[in-house]
Amino acid sequence: MFESTLRSLDERIMAFLDSPWNVVLAALGLFALVLLYAWAPYVRLVVKSMRRNPLRTLLTGSATFLLVMVITMIWSVLWLLDLVTAERSRDFKAIVTERWQIPSQMPFSYERILEDGGATRRGDVKPQNVMSWQFYGGTLDPKKSRENLVFFFALDPAKVLTMMDEFRDLNEDEHLEMQKMVRAVQEDKRRIVLGRDCLKRINKRVGERISLFSINYQGIDLDDCEIIGTLPEGRLTLFGLMHRDRLNNALDAYERKNGSPHPLAKKSLNLVWLQIPDTETYGKLAEQIANSPSFADPAVKVETASSGISSFLDAYRDMLWGVRWLLVPAILATLSMVIATAISISVRERRIEMAVLKVLGFGPTRILFMVLAEAAFIGLVSGALSAGGAYLYINKAMGGLRLPIAFFPPFRIPLEALWWGPTLGILTALVGSIFPAWSARSVRVSQVFSKLA
Amino acid sequence: MGPIVEVGNLHKFFRRGSEQIDVLKGLNLEVPEGEFLALMGPSGSGKTTLLNLIAGLDTPSRGTIRVGDQLISTMGEGKLAAWRTRHVGFVFQFYHLLPVLTAYENVELPLLLLPLSAAQRKQQVTTALELVGLTDRMRHRPGQLSGGQQQRVGIARAIVTDPTILVADEPTGDLDAHSAEDILNLLVALQKSLQKTIVMVTHDPRAAARAARILHLDKGRLVRETGPDSAESLFQRAVQPD
Repeated sequence: MFESTLRSLDERIMAFLDSPWNVVLAALGLFALVLLYAWAPYVRLVVKSMRRNPLRTLLTGSATFLLVMVITMIWSVLWLLDLVTAERSRDFKAIVTERWQIPSQMPFSYERILEDGGATRRGDVKPQNVMSWQFYGGTLDPKKSRENLVFFFALDPAKVLTMMDEFRDLNEDEHLEMQKMVRAVQEDKRRIVLGRDCLKRINKRVGERISLFSINYQGIDLDDCEIIGTLPEGRLTLFGLMHRDRLNNALDAYERKNGSPHPLAKKSLNLVWLQIPDTETYGKLAEQIANSPSFADPAVKVETASSGISSFLDAYRDMLWGVRWLLVPAILATLSMVIATAISISVRERRIEMAVLKVLGFGPTRILFMVLAEAAFIGLVSGALSAGGAYLYINKAMGGLRLPIAFFPPFRIPLEALWWGPTLGILTALVGSIFPAWSARSVRVSQVFSKLA
Repeated sequence: MGPIVEVGNLHKFFRRGSEQIDVLKGLNLEVPEGEFLALMGPSGSGKTTLLNLIAGLDTPSRGTIRVGDQLISTMGEGKLAAWRTRHVGFVFQFYHLLPVLTAYENVELPLLLLPLSAAQRKQQVTTALELVGLTDRMRHRPGQLSGGQQQRVGIARAIVTDPTILVADEPTGDLDAHSAEDILNLLVALQKSLQKTIVMVTHDPRAAARAARILHLDKGRLVRETGPDSAESLFQRAVQPD
């Protein structure tokens, strides 16, 4: 028992030390502890100074806490958007959509041609993998009210775990559960999987069977859909997944029943993802598809996933710019001013104390650093609590921030926020306390005591 | 013994707008090592300014100040701060203890600036508090101590680094007669037992009477030098006028 615990600990330590960043962080942490030990009396003095006016310290800390939390949330959203719109040079996806129309509606036959990447000549390149997307909106209400509307992605279940980034970083249990559900959907095409919020919204439970009345495919209603599970926490929470054959078979059945194809029968493919190894292949593939006569009616366009998302986010561009370059700096400036005000009052109240410290031999620089350290300490503690609190509360309790931006899943606070928060707290506190600290270092002993006398 | 403090042709003036205010005018002074010196004079005579200059809290406009073997009148602010840590113990009229720290931590403050281990600091703080008779109050905060006890902590803080000179600005000015007497007794005891040089500014003739020598300042000049007896008679006259 003890040996296995020790071995597990050893493995964890070795895994931790695998990353150079972890080693650097651990070294910095150790260094900080050594400094804290070496400067323990100063740290005690700084901490005790903050106890002089606990209410003011608490208010300053609370303001820092709140503002750092707001910035952490904003940055988490911006961070994710930056991440998905950043161009990658290897192992990325290209998106094929209809060139001239939104929403894109292509014939399903395009998928098979795209599997070859429109290759016609020797030397033409092919994508590594292909995934087709069909969108199906259905409500539980035969009268087609929108209250119980569910938006489905009709997909090839085999591609869910190999192509979709949402399911890349699942833990072992979640991965096994997803594999199980994928197999189940492959075995019986009536089976569906719903996002957690979606299931809650329609007030159904796993195991129940539902009938879907289509909103976008008139007459293509799907009976007897068995809910076999929910998607992992935080993944596509508002959507559902179904086997693409279920939709395509229903379209075929429509033609058999009505003697003519469904009006959307040749427009059921909404987009196709192509897995590309590198930018060179992407360039060639895009050219092949653009020049292929197979994609003439309707014409298609190829773009990288990031540029596709960027195009989509264009509608939000001004708002995001404002958030990034106006709102965040405004919050940071407010935070600095709050800290500057609190520290200024504190320094003014303690002018005599500063003078006494100078009399005892504390040099101007030392006093400057003591005031800065006091502010930085408030910033560090508040920032760390704020970022840590945001991380735990938003990710664990709320399951992410649900912002209605495109198909984005709830925005989760990234692990990186755990160092943003304290760093932000410290930096803004330092900026805010520069002038008060300078004023403290410049206290003239003889003047302070002559005024006192 | 030779002088531990030498002041030569000391001038200090301040500017208020275009007006120059001469606070000290060509003052010369020598304080032998181990002497208890009192500076007296009316308000504005320059005694506190002189004390501040000797303690390295301010720099002269002209003239020299030598304490021990150091010419402090030419030192910059940073250097003076470092020098004060080792060579000057300052006793304030209003004690000026840090209210958030205990008596022990207040006394320990100057030692934080010296390269001492925690154990060495503890030993020195305990010794200083023993000398002022406050070992049983070392965990108390200033607010939990009487005025006399606070001033004892102030004195312990001043002597904890074993400084070259001890300067005191009206050390009994904020105390009742009984506590003031205790503090003066303590200063005299320290001066005698530790051979400390003490320079004290006071308005109080009874306090000045405890010094070995009294210098009277007026309008920035040394006008008279007397012994403790004359201060005693001054005190008698003050309390029993005719």
